[in-house]
Amino acid sequence: MGLPLFNASDDPGPSFATFAERAGLVGAEWGSTSSTHATTVVAVRYLGGVVMVADRQATSSYIASRDVRKIEAADHNTAIAISGSAARGMEFIRMAQLSFEHYEKMTDSALSLKGKANYLSPLVQRNNLGTPLTVIPLLAGWDPSYNDGRIFEYDGAGGCYERRDFATIGSGSPFAESALRLGYRTDLDRDSAIDLGALAVYEAGDNDPSTGGPDFVRNIFPMIVTIDERGFAELPDDEVRRRFATINERRTQSQGVAGGSLR
Amino acid sequence: MTNFFYVSPEQLIKDRAEFAQKGIARGRSIVAAIYDVGVVMVAENTSASLNKISEIYDRIAFAGVGRYNEFDRLREAGIRWADGTGFTYSREDVDARALANYYAQHVGDMFTEGQKPLEVEILVAQLGSALRPTKLYRIAYEGTISDEARFAVLGGDAETIKSRFVAAQSDVAPLAETLRHAVDALSGPDRTIEVVDLEVCVLEDRGTRRTFNRLSDQRVGELLGP
Repeated sequence: MGLPLFNASDDPGPSFATFAERAGLVGAEWGSTSSTHATTVVAVRYLGGVVMVADRQATSSYIASRDVRKIEAADHNTAIAISGSAARGMEFIRMAQLSFEHYEKMTDSALSLKGKANYLSPLVQRNNLGTPLTVIPLLAGWDPSYNDGRIFEYDGAGGCYERRDFATIGSGSPFAESALRLGYRTDLDRDSAIDLGALAVYEAGDNDPSTGGPDFVRNIFPMIVTIDERGFAELPDDEVRRRFATINERRTQSQGVAGGSLR
Repeated sequence: MTNFFYVSPEQLIKDRAEFAQKGIARGRSIVAAIYDVGVVMVAENTSASLNKISEIYDRIAFAGVGRYNEFDRLREAGIRWADGTGFTYSREDVDARALANYYAQHVGDMFTEGQKPLEVEILVAQLGSALRPTKLYRIAYEGTISDEARFAVLGGDAETIKSRFVAAQSDVAPLAETLRHAVDALSGPDRTIEVVDLEVCVLEDRGTRRTFNRLSDQRVGELLGP
């Protein structure tokens, strides 16, 4: 690539996606429907932040991978998760991470959280309307201008909606969503939000064939991250293991029945 | 009817060089120096928002003197080139030498073929890693590129500032000392530059991917001491 200089009239500005398209870095949208990647990711707001939990399984006609990371830090205080096509999802995360950094370097100021959320809309739209390899992201972050954790979900056509409680994406959504609906309260603290999020993904893993639950044999567990005032942080493996072991133990005691109280 | 007068190539180059030098000499200079664990860039800049020094990539920084609109456009092109290259290949494939060469080609082309030469002098600094050495590439208005060993000075008064810096510091030193010598070299013996009129940025490893850091006035004050 040569030095990308533009005239003032056709300058792509600080948007990396616009520049990448102009420079031919991103290809035309073609594809087959064979490589899907089913998922469950949940985001739950609590007092002082947002927790996100995602299963680790990639599924095509069989289990393609058991240790996929579906949540990544988009920058210091923003997390992005993906569901849908694995290939497209990974590129989507890369594009989002790079775009936020690109904007910051070009303008010497960081994008607002709302600005990041809106920026993803046309990327989702362009991807999903141009190819069967659909991607649905989920964006959660700490908004320093509001001192609050915020969640943004998207529909398949790129519509961006802010959620004040919780959001789910992926094939296991119906099950995760039900667990969250029953367990969510507006005054959740960090600890109970993590437990609720973990339970929602456990439920999805239990019911949805394309969502992986905790894997005690291989020691692979859904990933849990929190985003608060101090930024993005992933929970250490042993803590994640302990939380899922507790849920699993309760479920074993009740012989697989969740009913009665929410557990 | 239009008349074309013959101008010898020698004269043309001389005129263009004079024009560019004059434009560059109007602005304040920049000193960039390698210190024991990083690279520091110091500019005299009365504006707190129109920067002369910026981040290009994880381990690459940019500095420019002369006409702001001209070097800022080069800065933007550099960020696009670096982010584009890293996106297409890998982050570790982004090399300051390649960027410096592109800059040199463009600035050189503008010098010989442009309506007018660019009135800028720029620096591409790279913090070393396991893959690449720490480097300071200076690109002059006519497109010559030079690989400066320990420090580089950009701007009209470069020779004087250079000799002042060499006299003060003969080897690589820690940040505070290097910064003090750089500021002294910029100001000269008869003048002091206020901390608020300094723009100071460093490339230094701090356990994160990105190494560029713009130092606050407070931090610069602390480093310079009383």
